[in-house]
Amino acid sequence: MSTEAIPAERPKRNYNALFGLTLLALLVLLWVILSVATPSFASANNISNLLRQGSMIAILAVGQTFVIITGGIDLSVGAVVGFATVIVAMLINAGVPIFLAILITLLVGVAIGTFHGFGIVRMGLPPFIITLATLTSLRGIGLLMTNGNSISINNDAFQLFSRSSFLGIPNLFWMVILVGIPAYIFLHHSRWGRYLFSVGSNAEASRLSGVNVQRTIYMAYTLSGLCAAFVGVLLASRIGIGNPTQAEGWELQAIASSVIGGTSLFGAVGSVHGPLLGAFILATINNGANLLNVNAFWQRIITGVLIIVIVYFDGLRRRGK
Amino acid sequence: MTSTAQELHPAPTLEPGRTILELKGLEKRYPGTHALKPVNLAFKASEIHAIVGENGAGKSTLIKLLTGVMPRTSGDVIWEGKPAALATPHEAMALGINAVHQEVVLCRHLTVAANMFLGEEDSRFGILQQRAMVREAQKIIDDLGFDLPAHVVLGDLTIGQQQLIAAARATVRGTKFLIFDEPTAYLTRKEADQLFTLIRRLKGEGVTIIYISHRMEEVFELADRVSVLRDGTLVGTRNIAETNDAELVKMMINRSIEQVYHKEHFTPGATLLEARNLSGKGFENVSMTVRAGEIVGLYGLIGAGRSEFVTTLYGRHRKSAGQILWEGKAVQVNSEHDAIRLGMALAPESRRDQGLCLNLPVGLNLNLPIYKRISSNLLISSAQEKTEADRQIANLRIKTPTRNALASSLSGGNQQKIVIGKWLAHGAKLFIFDEPTVGVDVGTKAEIYRLFSALLSNGAGIILISSYLPEVYELADTLHVFRRGKLVATHGFHTADHEEILTQALAEKQEKPGGQI
Ligand SMILES: Nc1ncnc2c1ncn2[C@@H]1O[C@H](COP(=O)(O)OP(=O)(O)OP(=O)(O)O)[C@@H](O)[C@H]1O
Ligand SMILES: [Mg+2]
Repeated sequence: MSTEAIPAERPKRNYNALFGLTLLALLVLLWVILSVATPSFASANNISNLLRQGSMIAILAVGQTFVIITGGIDLSVGAVVGFATVIVAMLINAGVPIFLAILITLLVGVAIGTFHGFGIVRMGLPPFIITLATLTSLRGIGLLMTNGNSISINNDAFQLFSRSSFLGIPNLFWMVILVGIPAYIFLHHSRWGRYLFSVGSNAEASRLSGVNVQRTIYMAYTLSGLCAAFVGVLLASRIGIGNPTQAEGWELQAIASSVIGGTSLFGAVGSVHGPLLGAFILATINNGANLLNVNAFWQRIITGVLIIVIVYFDGLRRRGK
Repeated sequence: MTSTAQELHPAPTLEPGRTILELKGLEKRYPGTHALKPVNLAFKASEIHAIVGENGAGKSTLIKLLTGVMPRTSGDVIWEGKPAALATPHEAMALGINAVHQEVVLCRHLTVAANMFLGEEDSRFGILQQRAMVREAQKIIDDLGFDLPAHVVLGDLTIGQQQLIAAARATVRGTKFLIFDEPTAYLTRKEADQLFTLIRRLKGEGVTIIYISHRMEEVFELADRVSVLRDGTLVGTRNIAETNDAELVKMMINRSIEQVYHKEHFTPGATLLEARNLSGKGFENVSMTVRAGEIVGLYGLIGAGRSEFVTTLYGRHRKSAGQILWEGKAVQVNSEHDAIRLGMALAPESRRDQGLCLNLPVGLNLNLPIYKRISSNLLISSAQEKTEADRQIANLRIKTPTRNALASSLSGGNQQKIVIGKWLAHGAKLFIFDEPTVGVDVGTKAEIYRLFSALLSNGAGIILISSYLPEVYELADTLHVFRRGKLVATHGFHTADHEEILTQALAEKQEKPGGQI
């Protein structure tokens, strides 16, 4: 065909960027509206608070996105966060140096992710099932380990971290950058990133093209587990306790952030910046609704409606191209 | 709409020769592609009208507009004298326009019967009526002369058989105008003959047939008239008696091709691969060797075990017995990965299921096997990623606006070129091409055969599987014939004639009483 360069089709990447910009615009718009609507929104205190709230879901959403791109889902991340708070709390209270305690906790996250990979690749379980199983059993294991109590962490330095800022920006938000940049490079500029997409698009074709599909799946779930354990460490630092029932429902927020950020639950479509923006849009809505004294029940409804609207318009435009 | 065998085909409402459907300035633009430039064309009642053209010429697009699958950009379609909007597939079907699409678009998980009546299940065919539905479907299939069971799940049939079901499905819907988009691409000869019988019979009953194909001999065998599309433009329409192969090719690609089957003979070098008494799922006790510089052709019916044999060589399936030797040494090929590391490359049979990541860009698909090579440690070299993809796009003349377009937006034949193209830069020693030119136009076929020669001259060996005898016959230095999972005969280049090879491939089927060949 005559292939005139009509810009609409140079797209894919342009389209991603465009969608990212739209999300960013939406976020800014929300901030402007809220600043006008309630004086307390724009206060330094509240903004820091909002960034802290959003940061943890944002990191979870990045890991979740890797998994969703392969066509899977990780329902366990909330439970992993809660479990990780327990592990890190116990280790620190047992006198393990903070650095080592964190490292061990992260390795536990990796182990959980590897287990998911094993269940999917070796046992042939659907991702939904194996991660759902982990979701309930991890909470149970955590409760057994703590006898159902919270463990308060006796280490001020550890807690100080999440409360302090660097260059006026909360440390927790710096952590998003710390995770986001390597994640971006990994997903968009390394061959493993390409493999995540190709496996999500057509595992058989990838396999025949020499892609190690099993390793790719292990990798996605391992990274998701790692992100979740990392968030667990951050949460423990923020609330100063280890408690296996923390982070209830965070897996759904992470999935919602990812989907708002343009990830397709059918796999093979997604980015790193999308879920990050998605997480902060969700955090802003919750934060704004709190400030405006909107009933907490309504907040949930608004979040649900927002997911439908954004994903609907995203789908419309994808089809429209 | 009716769904019983008795009311299979409605009485034609028009006497032959009258115009049944007319295109007036029909046009389609996709973003980045002007797929169909205003086309004027009239189809006569109960004619078989072939449409030919290069890959991406706009044939399937035309069909999609006529069947309401895609909205047109501008122009009119006049159906029996009245303008038709054709906004939805349902509207087209209500008029009596049906199509058998290039890619089977049926539900693989449903039974053949359920697929036949999909979308118009009679209330009689409620949950308790499953058996009645199967019976009904079986009656229709038998009536059409297809030897297929109606109760099995569609996905269990070969692609060719699925295509026949799609054709059967199209005939039960009160069809007046039936479109076949490359129906024989995946059919065995026997199946193709069954299909031709069906097409002629439909014509006799007053149905107008549009027939799209890249195989000229089929066009001359079947069609009354033929129209040629090039770059979305209608170049001309001819009565079949007043044209010939060369003229059509000239019209299609605007130049002539002296020789499609480009063949150079090289002195065979060292043995690359040897299979010794290899058995596995779908084939038994197969032995053969492939040497550097030669093309080993595997001919047989679809389902004769050729694909299973090569996928086992490639480590996709486990062998149950026998030995594989690579460059003289016994090797274990336990995964595709092992095979690729040894130096094998496989372009698989089904581009949709095995060949392509459809919702990803063309460039990513082309580079998938070589990402390791074009990354330095951690990062992909984006410059190399671009040049490699663009090189294959240029070499194989893949029609795409950019390498960033999604593979699904390409025409069927151009998708096929990606399946082959992704291995060409890989530097393998043994290339296995399973039905490499399905749906590919003549010009590009010639191009691909030339690339084969280039691979051979670089010291590679090729295994070429084709169900299209002329292709393997003209290209293979050694030709193995498969039948029902066994290697039944071996020939050198042109040492046997078509007749003999066909008989060997079919033999057992022929003995079946009443079986058609
Ligand atoms: N959904 C789509 N989006 C964008 N471009 C498309 C889409 N479908 C087809 N095209 C483009 O329109 C052109 C015509 O495609 P079409 O499928 O009609 O070709 P064709 O003649 O059927 O070719 P083939 O012989 O390979 O099947 C091609 O260049 C193709 O890339
Ligand atoms: Mg086509």
